[in-house]
Amino acid sequence: MHTNATDSYLCPYCSQGLDSYDSLKTHVLAEHSSEPLPLPDGVIQLTINRQVYHLQVEPEWMLYHVLHDRLGLTGTKMFCDRGACGSCTVIVDGRPVLSCMTLAIECDGKTIETIEGVAADHHPLIDAYIKHHALQCGYCTPGFIVTAKALLDKNPDPGEEEIKAALAGNLCRCGTYPQHPKAVLEAAHVLMEGK
Amino acid sequence: MVDEPGPYHKLRSEGQYHVGAEPINTTFNEIGKRGQRRLDGYEKATGKALYTRDMQIPGMLYARVLRSPYAHARIKSMDTRRAETLPGVKAILRFDDPEIKGRTLNGSYFTQGWARPKLAGWALKPVHLVLADEAWYEGQPMGAVIAAESEAIAQQAVSLIHIEWEELPFILDQEEALKPDAPVLRPGAATNEIHDPRKHFESGNVEKGFQEADHVIEFRARRRPHLWAGAEMPSVLVRWLDERLEMWVHQQQPYLAKQLIAEWLEIPMDRVTVNTVYQGCSFGGRGNPANNSENGINVLATLLSKATGRPVKLLYDRRDTFFGESGDMGISNIKVGFKKDGLITAVQLKNNFAVYLAATGIDHFVDNTRIENLACEAIPVDVSIGPAWWARCEHLTSCLCLTLVFDHVAAKLGMDPIEVALKNDGSHGHDTSYLDQYKRDHGFPDRDSLKECIEVGKRVVGWDEKWHLPGGRKLPNGKFHGIAFTWDHNWDDTRGTGSAAVMIENDGSVTIIGQHVDIGPNPWTPLCQIVADEIGVPFEAVRIKPWTVDTGFVLMSPDGSCNLVTNGNIVRKAANKARQMLLELAAEKFEVTSLEELDIREGKIFVKSDPARSKPIREIVARAVPMHVSSAFWPQPPIIGWAWHNQGIWGQANETGRPRLCRQAHFMEVEVDPETGQVEVTRVVNVNDVGKAISPESVEAQMYGGTVMGVSRGVSEEMIWDPQTGVLLNGNLLDYKYATILDCGPIDTPIIETGLGHGPYGASGIGEATATIIPGLLGPAVYNAVGHWVDDFPLTPDKVLKVLGKI
Repeated sequence: MHTNATDSYLCPYCSQGLDSYDSLKTHVLAEHSSEPLPLPDGVIQLTINRQVYHLQVEPEWMLYHVLHDRLGLTGTKMFCDRGACGSCTVIVDGRPVLSCMTLAIECDGKTIETIEGVAADHHPLIDAYIKHHALQCGYCTPGFIVTAKALLDKNPDPGEEEIKAALAGNLCRCGTYPQHPKAVLEAAHVLMEGK
Repeated sequence: MVDEPGPYHKLRSEGQYHVGAEPINTTFNEIGKRGQRRLDGYEKATGKALYTRDMQIPGMLYARVLRSPYAHARIKSMDTRRAETLPGVKAILRFDDPEIKGRTLNGSYFTQGWARPKLAGWALKPVHLVLADEAWYEGQPMGAVIAAESEAIAQQAVSLIHIEWEELPFILDQEEALKPDAPVLRPGAATNEIHDPRKHFESGNVEKGFQEADHVIEFRARRRPHLWAGAEMPSVLVRWLDERLEMWVHQQQPYLAKQLIAEWLEIPMDRVTVNTVYQGCSFGGRGNPANNSENGINVLATLLSKATGRPVKLLYDRRDTFFGESGDMGISNIKVGFKKDGLITAVQLKNNFAVYLAATGIDHFVDNTRIENLACEAIPVDVSIGPAWWARCEHLTSCLCLTLVFDHVAAKLGMDPIEVALKNDGSHGHDTSYLDQYKRDHGFPDRDSLKECIEVGKRVVGWDEKWHLPGGRKLPNGKFHGIAFTWDHNWDDTRGTGSAAVMIENDGSVTIIGQHVDIGPNPWTPLCQIVADEIGVPFEAVRIKPWTVDTGFVLMSPDGSCNLVTNGNIVRKAANKARQMLLELAAEKFEVTSLEELDIREGKIFVKSDPARSKPIREIVARAVPMHVSSAFWPQPPIIGWAWHNQGIWGQANETGRPRLCRQAHFMEVEVDPETGQVEVTRVVNVNDVGKAISPESVEAQMYGGTVMGVSRGVSEEMIWDPQTGVLLNGNLLDYKYATILDCGPIDTPIIETGLGHGPYGASGIGEATATIIPGLLGPAVYNAVGHWVDDFPLTPDKVLKVLGKI
């Protein structure tokens, strides 16, 4: 499935207007024998939680804005608004990044995982966070879980100090910090048991 | 010999609080059980939980407010023409528009005449204009507000407003602001001193107390400004529909928001629907005063929605939150008289507050000490800093003064501070025999809460082995070890009002109906535990529907640590009413004559004398009323019982006949680096007597969570202004330092359950206490480490190095 934020679909070769992305693709293949289809100016491709999106974005838009405001992936949160708190963390090509400090156009062609993707995969971090009360108001929680997920992807058996170091960029005003290592250790254990 | 309480306890009605311990007839199956899956957990952990800032409605516009770039300035002229022509701008509201010119925001209580001056103080009165043309602090929302197709366009439009400013002199220091020649900041005010009828307190005779003392000490303490900086920044989404108004608020007290917006707009309350989603922190700060009486975002968004015919979401950014969300900022001049054995004979406080919304500072000496002679003068003053609101409790100064007084006295005498605490424990000038008598007279257990807390805390922290004389322990790593103790009463359990219904559906599942906002303390799980045990169903059978005030049932807002003590009583009463209706229906089915013959356990109603005669609840509810046709197509309406409950009045524990009986004790270990001045908190032990822990993990969460916030406040949190311009220098979360996961050592949280609380099952509140007490404990901990007092909070390295003579 493709989602496209453009109002009209102009062929990049002959400027003919088409009414949908699929019609454009059919047109380009038939008339210009071109594959893959080049994306129109300002359109980027993001693979978010395994789904491909083609999106027209303004050059100054942050990835957070695209995810939260345009795509309705509201699990990615705005807390500090300038790269200080980790609540907007998403995983881009395997690395945790702050989506409020990352331009959407920088992510063209990249693979992105958000909290919605982590949850859809029933990652054991979800249950571990609930069980250990590693959340209170919950606003910063998705950022912590996504950061922890990125850690476990790289280091499936982290020690407590490694977990703290990985989560040191995430702020929680409710003070849930003592619970996070417990939850992450438990999730790591569940993942290792499952293998 | 117990004091005669005030008139409130004489109010008798079904909803009024009870004086004294209530007999507990409930079997605890779910209450107090560990491992209950918290109701909010799944939505929050998966990112599915929606917060006000996440809400979007088709056609929604975004709004931003202009802010003063100067610490004190007046608009001479304002030209908004460039902003108006920016594509995407839909409406601009100006301070001089006839609709709002000169109009104030609400006071914090419903109708201006209803404000209770004895309780309210200045901050709850209608003093702020909807949009002013003069600002007395940098960052003050003022002048204009703009709605546009995107947040970026709205912000750009604000920057295109051309203003000719008249800069005026500003003041940042509250003692400077009191000088006779100081410029007056607030428009229309005669002086910078703020009138507050509560500012003087006196009991006994402090001069006599000082004469009776063996020692008198005087010292001065200072608390620099900080703020609570909640996770979710302020926002509101408003949809004006001509004949009605719909709102989604980021607010702790949404029913009050409904009252206040209806009052301001002069429309009936039945035209207003207020919805709430999850709330990303609040700590009191997203209470009513901030959004309705000071920053006015609810009014501004509504006016823009009216003007454009579109839904409007008004958003703050992070820097915006640094203006008007500060905690206390104060200077305390403290004089204490005491005997050689540690008995305190008099305490005199002179507290000078800036950006004030606080208690006087003496309250906790009144509530939980036997000190007979107390005096306090609290002088609130305007300075060029945004107003302060509750930040997890208005009693930061009370707790700071209490800790510093007790620990300074202990230090002067070379005594163990624990001995000084035990010597002075009491209430309203009476020693503990008064409390013992009260417990006997009112059916409470004969337990000494403070002693129990201390005993456990000493053991857990290893007090007897670790406590040493000041500066007496240098560690192998070159740092000085410090250890400290403080104490207080637990709070709160004597205030709050609300209502709720408990509905038993046709399938036997149970729903609590009552508007309530979740600001983080896991408020709903314990309510479901209570209802489960009161009716006799499993916890899994109970849920809550808290999302709108339009159900007519409004639970106590999560204020003043009274979330659970008030709401626990409300749902307990409502559950028992629903249970009674269920049993009455069941009595007919079982053909018994007395309801006493029936009981409910694990969702089944049965005859006590013959438990084999049992039916699931659903069979009773679904066929409650005989009908002529099959009930398969026309199920019966659910059973509903509803109740209200008043747990008491703010600040009136003793006056309502319920002195505070639960205590708490806190222990802290620090390491102080004499080379860098860095203070590291290596261990904290919080011991709280919560009376009864209905959800133990939630109690612990408030203890360690409050500790993290308290350590952060005590070690690093401070807002810093440029003295040359009055402009805030660290209005972001990179330069305003609050604790990360690396910034506090292990925290132990033993819970004491004496049953001495005035809440349900003997429970007391917990939410505010730890974060409010812990900052002050840094003072004696650093004193114990280095042998010098740093009575200037936060205890940043520069101040530590200064007392060490290094700078």
